[in-house]
Amino acid sequence: MTNVIQVAILGLLLGGVYALMAAGLTLAFGVMRIVNLAHAAFIIASAYISFFAFEQLGIDPLLSVVFVMPIMFFFGVAVYQVLFRRIEGSAKFGEMTVLLTFGIAIMVEGLLGFVFTGIYRKAQPGYANESFIVDGLFLPEGDILFIPKGQFYASLLSIVLLVGLWAFLRYSQTGYAIRATTQNRDAAEIVGVNVRRVSAISFGLSTALAGASGALMSYLFPFFPFRHWQWVAVLLALVVLGGMGSMKGAVIGALVLGVASSFVVDQIGPTWGPMTFYLALFLILLVRPQGLFGKEVPA
Amino acid sequence: MPILEITDVSAGYGAGPDILRGLSLEVEEAKSYCIIGPNGAGKSTLLKVIAGLLHPRSGDVVFRGESLAHRRPDQVLATGVCFVPQDQALFPEMSVRENLIMGAYLVKDRALIKERLARVYEMFPILAERAGQDAGKMSGGQQQMLAMGRALMIDPILLMLDEPTLGLAPQIAQQIFSQVEQLKSMGLTVVIIEQNAQRGLELADWGVVLDLGIVRFEGPSEGILEDPRVRELYLGKAAGSREKK
Repeated sequence: MTNVIQVAILGLLLGGVYALMAAGLTLAFGVMRIVNLAHAAFIIASAYISFFAFEQLGIDPLLSVVFVMPIMFFFGVAVYQVLFRRIEGSAKFGEMTVLLTFGIAIMVEGLLGFVFTGIYRKAQPGYANESFIVDGLFLPEGDILFIPKGQFYASLLSIVLLVGLWAFLRYSQTGYAIRATTQNRDAAEIVGVNVRRVSAISFGLSTALAGASGALMSYLFPFFPFRHWQWVAVLLALVVLGGMGSMKGAVIGALVLGVASSFVVDQIGPTWGPMTFYLALFLILLVRPQGLFGKEVPA
Repeated sequence: MPILEITDVSAGYGAGPDILRGLSLEVEEAKSYCIIGPNGAGKSTLLKVIAGLLHPRSGDVVFRGESLAHRRPDQVLATGVCFVPQDQALFPEMSVRENLIMGAYLVKDRALIKERLARVYEMFPILAERAGQDAGKMSGGQQQMLAMGRALMIDPILLMLDEPTLGLAPQIAQQIFSQVEQLKSMGLTVVIIEQNAQRGLELADWGVVLDLGIVRFEGPSEGILEDPRVRELYLGKAAGSREKK
């Protein structure tokens, strides 16, 4: 029983981080219908910023969120203005964003490989290899639970950022405009929302979330430029499970798959961990293509 | 002195043909207009051009001396021109109250928003009763009232309604017509496209008949349907020629 709780806790902690990663991807799709295949490449790029801030300047990866997020926000706004604005009026906007972001991902990967080479990196702050130890409570005599500090802090920060994002979308005027544009772009225009401006801000927010995710990735997972392909597949599985464009769906999808993959790793083996995401992707596409909280698209 | 002048406007979608083909029209302040015409005449396209949702390929749209021809929808709305499209264009997962607040998106004064919200609730009591309900879960008639209420949140000078009674039961449609009457009495300039031409013309001061992207005929709405040219457009050449005989 203790082992089941232990595995579930580890899964939930990872799921919290996955939720932050997926939130940015689903935001870009929800507001602008951009399937951003470069999202994971932005996460890896941000991981490099945090990694070198830690290695060269001694700045804690968790603290680096303070500057990585604004940098990535403005980067995202610039990418939107320079690249996406050109194809905005296209009847095949959705399809073109796939090609465009695929190209951006390859460019980012190439650039990172050229500058930082392909070697594995991982920041090693003191807490990364420490754990909180829980005993007593409801546990049988002598049993203990390990809660890795690094994952715990990362998950906590993810929750803080996601709650902040939720409050921003719920209560700010720009948040109202983003939600309105997500639900009905034409209606948003009719009530006076400058949808181009809102789209640029939303894409900036999406890349800022990628920035925060990268800061966490810098010490949670080993990374190198090519790694983003594996991550983007995982993130797509999360948002498809939750329903493309649904923030609530992305968070729930991330937590569910975080726990599921954790059990697969424990019961079957680490090689099968990533398979959980791909299997979930296949199953959800077969059974409920619109995802758990997505809307059915009429044929 | 017209409040809105549309001069020789041509417009269409994407690379497609012109839907409006050199259309000209003048709209006087505090008057109501009913636009009728067969399917594909360009009625909805005309309102989209005025609202800034579609830019004209040529010609000009001037509202109170300002050209709207190449402005964004939010810039057009800021001048006091408000459009309620055929599908109401609501935010289905936002509450009724949030939808109404979105109607005042360009208004920065919170006290003013509150005041207008109270006015809309007074005019449409059902919206006050359903304030917390998601817009997507309301009936068709209630959604139409919400769309009209939302339009009033910006305190428009010119209100354009595209087939507000489309798909509604006659009794509900009658309620919508009554609300439009009320808006007219408030001194609002109203332009309405109505599938029920008879009822729409009863409501309006002026009738405008569109066909193939131009104004074919316009005049005082009383008796406009009796005009042989209008009958010909609606009922075919046979009816028109019978009338002429």
